[in-house]
Amino acid sequence: MDKVLYVAMTGARENMYAQQAHANNLANATTTGFKSDFEQARAMRVLGDGFESRVYAMSERPGTNLDSGTLMQTGRDLDVAIAGDGWLAVQGPDGNEVYTRNGSLQVDAANQLVTGSGLPVLGAGGAPIVIPPAQSLTIGNDGTITIRPVGENAVEVAQIDQLKLVQPENGQLFKGRDGFMHTDNDVPLAANPNVQVRAGYLEASNVNAVAELTAMISLQRQFEMQIKMMKTAEELSSSAAQVLSLS
Amino acid sequence: MHGALHVAKTGLSAQDTQLKVISNNLANVSTVGFKKDRLEFEDLLYQIRRQPGAATGEDSMLPSGLQLGSGVRTVSTQKLFTTGDMQITDQPFDVAINGRGFLQVTQPNGDIAYTRNGELHLDGEGRLVTAEGYLIEPAITLPDEVTNFSVATDGTVNVTVAGDPEPQELGQLELADFVNPQGLQAVGQNLYIETAASGAPIVGIAGEDGLGIIKQGMLESSNVNAVEELVNMITTQRAYEMNSKVISTADEMLSYVSQQL
Repeated sequence: MDKVLYVAMTGARENMYAQQAHANNLANATTTGFKSDFEQARAMRVLGDGFESRVYAMSERPGTNLDSGTLMQTGRDLDVAIAGDGWLAVQGPDGNEVYTRNGSLQVDAANQLVTGSGLPVLGAGGAPIVIPPAQSLTIGNDGTITIRPVGENAVEVAQIDQLKLVQPENGQLFKGRDGFMHTDNDVPLAANPNVQVRAGYLEASNVNAVAELTAMISLQRQFEMQIKMMKTAEELSSSAAQVLSLS
Repeated sequence: MHGALHVAKTGLSAQDTQLKVISNNLANVSTVGFKKDRLEFEDLLYQIRRQPGAATGEDSMLPSGLQLGSGVRTVSTQKLFTTGDMQITDQPFDVAINGRGFLQVTQPNGDIAYTRNGELHLDGEGRLVTAEGYLIEPAITLPDEVTNFSVATDGTVNVTVAGDPEPQELGQLELADFVNPQGLQAVGQNLYIETAASGAPIVGIAGEDGLGIIKQGMLESSNVNAVEELVNMITTQRAYEMNSKVISTADEMLSYVSQQL
């Protein structure tokens, strides 16, 4: 069989993978703090013995788009959005320190400050934050958590802890399989006092829906071209069979 | 078949759930003491198709690999316990809680439920009940021929009876508070019940220990913001359309294959 069939087949397969990456971005178009994934294709030579005549396509995720999403006002005390660069440190499902920009926090029954999915939020010292019974709670622009303890006067405010906010260098964070951002070997980053948060806001997903849909359409057409190539390969081989047939 | 199909399906069902939450909030835009829900989304696990750093030759390796996400899921709904606007009704049996706390209600099965809806009524035996007829805990029974009924800010209930100028103290409404009110389970009828996530109720007197005060003649309106919900509805609809567009694209791709080959 002509090798063109296999080359076109990898093109079509990789187009489908790329479609899935864009479909995932679109599915998360309304997920708080979501960062869209990039997708690109690369030409891969087939290495090995003999002449390297074929180059296959390969889709890959070169990185994650770390642009900020729009800040949405919610007015809830425990919603925090990070203004500008920076990340919120939480304890990931695997126990390591991971980073997110989804700041819809809550206090669980054990008085711990947790994310919407129940992961403990880390304080300045890198330990989970515990909030004593409070009448009101305020998160300052630097992440400082101040509470008015139950039954105390308004002047008796207490500073509890500070959210651990980090500002990694470019390329230091990558998206792990759990959807959170990780560092290499999960080495915790140091807290950075310059990161600012805004309480009462949440950060919308940074997915650009138009760009994703356009990419889907262009991938669809590309896919159709690959199928056309397979069709052509089929026609070539059948006409070859005709020419050579003994009749 | 096509990974994008399943991914887009998760997007569609998440937006579906979101629309249901929004419509429930909007339907309760004028329910006294209603607290709006918010749906929490999370991206699903990522699959590693090609490991970053895998070797492609003797001294070359893949710089970035391919990790594909598998869509979105709805993690939880959060009840947002922000206070609603206070409406003045001047009805003696309307009470609103200004601050933290819930009124306690005895359900027909004997369990205690909690509510912020202070539209109280009297039943045939002169007891204070909710609109559903469930008893308020602690139970307060009014004598006959009451001419004046008043609730103090600490919940003390006083009545004057015809022919007696001295007011009688009948009891005190108590409030319950929770460490994590968002963990309460909403059971409808404006009632919430305790769960492991909410923690045990801390019962106290209104105005003490951080509990709110009780205001007679007022009601707490729903905290749903209609404009906000409508904006959410627009984003939900558009996100739904885009996900269905992904499905039709994937479908066209597959049908093209079966037609052409």
